[in-house]
Amino acid sequence: MAIQVLRPSNLPELKKVLRTGAGKNFRFIAGGTDVLPQIAKDDIRDLTLIDITGINSAGFFAVKRYSGGYKAGAGVKVDDLITNKEIGLHYPVLKEAALSLASNQIRQVATIGGNLCTASPSGDVACALMALEAGCGISLPAGKKQVSILKFFTGVRKTVLGKTGLLLSVDIPQNHNKSRQLVSGFIKVGSRRSMECSVVSLAFHLQCDAKGTILRAGIAIGAVAPTIRFARSAAMYLEGKNIHEIREMEKLEFAEKVLGYASPISDLRASDWYRKEVLRNICFELFDRAGK
Amino acid sequence: MKKTVKRVKVKQEESVSLSLTVNGNRHVLKVRPAALLLDVLRDVLKLKGTKPGCHEGECGACTVLVNDIPVNSCLYLAVRAEGKKITTVEGLTGPGGALSAVQNALVEEGAVQCGFCTPGMAISMQALLNTHKSRKKSGRGTKSLSRDDIKKHFEGNLCRCTGYVKIIDAAEKLLAQSE
Ligand SMILES: Cc1cc2nc3c(=O)[nH]c(=O)nc-3n(C[C@H](O)[C@H](O)[C@H](O)COP(=O)(O)OP(=O)(O)OC[C@H]3O[C@@H](n4cnc5c(N)ncnc54)[C@H](O)[C@@H]3O)c2cc1C
Ligand code: FES
Ligand code: FES
Repeated sequence: MAIQVLRPSNLPELKKVLRTGAGKNFRFIAGGTDVLPQIAKDDIRDLTLIDITGINSAGFFAVKRYSGGYKAGAGVKVDDLITNKEIGLHYPVLKEAALSLASNQIRQVATIGGNLCTASPSGDVACALMALEAGCGISLPAGKKQVSILKFFTGVRKTVLGKTGLLLSVDIPQNHNKSRQLVSGFIKVGSRRSMECSVVSLAFHLQCDAKGTILRAGIAIGAVAPTIRFARSAAMYLEGKNIHEIREMEKLEFAEKVLGYASPISDLRASDWYRKEVLRNICFELFDRAGK
Repeated sequence: MKKTVKRVKVKQEESVSLSLTVNGNRHVLKVRPAALLLDVLRDVLKLKGTKPGCHEGECGACTVLVNDIPVNSCLYLAVRAEGKKITTVEGLTGPGGALSAVQNALVEEGAVQCGFCTPGMAISMQALLNTHKSRKKSGRGTKSLSRDDIKKHFEGNLCRCTGYVKIIDAAEKLLAQSE
C-alpha cells in the first residue's frame, strides 16, 4: 500500500493501464494542483495516480485553429491561455478567467482539463468555457464522443466522465461572422484579490455587430450553484438589443434573470444572501464594460 | 559550472529512479513514486534554501524553477522532474558566493525581514527578470511592465513581514537596470 504513479505514453497504453494495471483505486493526475492537496488533506495513502501529461499527442497540449473555431487540448496549461494572442483577441473572457486563477506558479502547471474535470462550482476557466458554450471531446470506455459543456457537469465535483472517462479537448466555437465588437470578460469576487476561490463569478461573452446589436450572448455564473451554470434566459434576453442603448430597467430585468439561476449556499466564505447581492451588482458591471 | 554526478541511495521498498540537474549538478536518485520535489530537494539533496510553508500552493516559499519556469515545489511530483533542470535559491549565487542581480536588488532595497519568504521571492523575481529579458530580445517587450503588473506577478508569494513595498521596489529597480 502506497501511492504509485503510472505514466502511460499514449492513449492505447493508457487504456491498457486502465484495464489491467491500475486496479480499482486510481485517479488521473494532470497538473496535480487539485489532486495533490487533496491527497495531503485527506491523508490518502493508497492510490494509483495515472499521470496523463506523458501522453505523446501534440493535440493534447496545444491550442489549434480549426474550421469551427479553436481546439484546445485538455493538457493545455492555464498560462497558455494568457500568452496565446488569438485567445486574447477573440475570447477575452477566457484570458481574464485564466488570469484570475490562483498564481503565476500554479498557472504554469494547472491544466484546462484539470479545471473542468475537478468540476468545482467555482472553477474559473470552466466558467469562461461555459459562457463560450464550448464542446468537450471525451473518451469513455465505450468510445470517443462530443458533449456540450452544458451537459458536462452532473453535480458537485461530478461530470459525465465518471471515473474512467478522459477529457481530450475543448472546442471553442468561432465568433459570429458579423461580430465586430466584443463585450467579453470575467468578473470574480472573493474576499481578497489574489489566490482566492471566488464567492461569486460571472463570465460574459457578447458578440455585437458594427452598430452594437448583440448577435449572440453567453452568460455563465460560478460559485452560486452546485455546478457552474449557463444563464440561458438572461443571454437570450440580451440578444437583439443594442449594447449601447440598454436602459436601466432592462439591466435590472437582466440581473433578475441571471439570479434565477443562482441557488447559493452559505458557507465560511459568504452567506447565500451576500452571494446573491454581489451577483446582482456584478451584472450591472458588465454593461459598464461596453463603454470601454 | 562544475558538473558532478552524485548517487544518493534511499532505503525504500518501492522506490523509483530519478535523474535531474539541480543548480548545474546532475543527480541520480532513488525516490518514493509520490515524493514531492520540495521534499527531495530538502531531505535528499539537503538543499534547505527552498522553504516549506503551507504545503498547499498558497505561500510560494517553496518556489523553484523547473526548466526556467517557476512552480510550487510542494505541488510538483519529483518524478516529473526527470531529465529537467532545477534552479533553487542556492543556484542563484555565483562562484565564490557572489550575489546575483536579484539577490543584490533585494539586499539593496532592504526587502528582507525574517527571510522565510525570501528564497521563493528571489526565484519568482528571477523568473520575472528572465521573461522580461527574453521578451525584449524577441522584440515582444516594447511595453515596460507597470508596478501593477509586477505586483500581479508576485501574487503567489506571501510575505508576512515586509508589507511587499520594498520587494516590489526591488523588482522595479532590477527591471529598470536591465533596460
Ligand atoms: C493555492 C491554490 C489556488 C487555486 N486557485 C484557483 C482559482 O483561483 N480558480 C480555480 O478555478 N481553481 C483554483 N485552484 C484549483 C486548481 O489549480 C485548478 O482547478 C486547476 O485548473 C486544476 O488543474 P490541474 O491540471 O492541476 O488538475 P489536477 O489536480 O491534475 O486534476 C484535477 C482533477 O481532474 C482530473 N483530471 C485532470 N485532467 C483530466 C482529464 N484530461 N480527463 C479526466 N480527468 C482529468 C483529475 O483526476 C482530478 O480529479 C487553486 C488551487 C490551489 C492549490
Ligand atoms: S509550501 Fe509550497 S506554496 Fe507554500
Ligand atoms: S520577510 Fe518574513 S515572510 Fe517575508
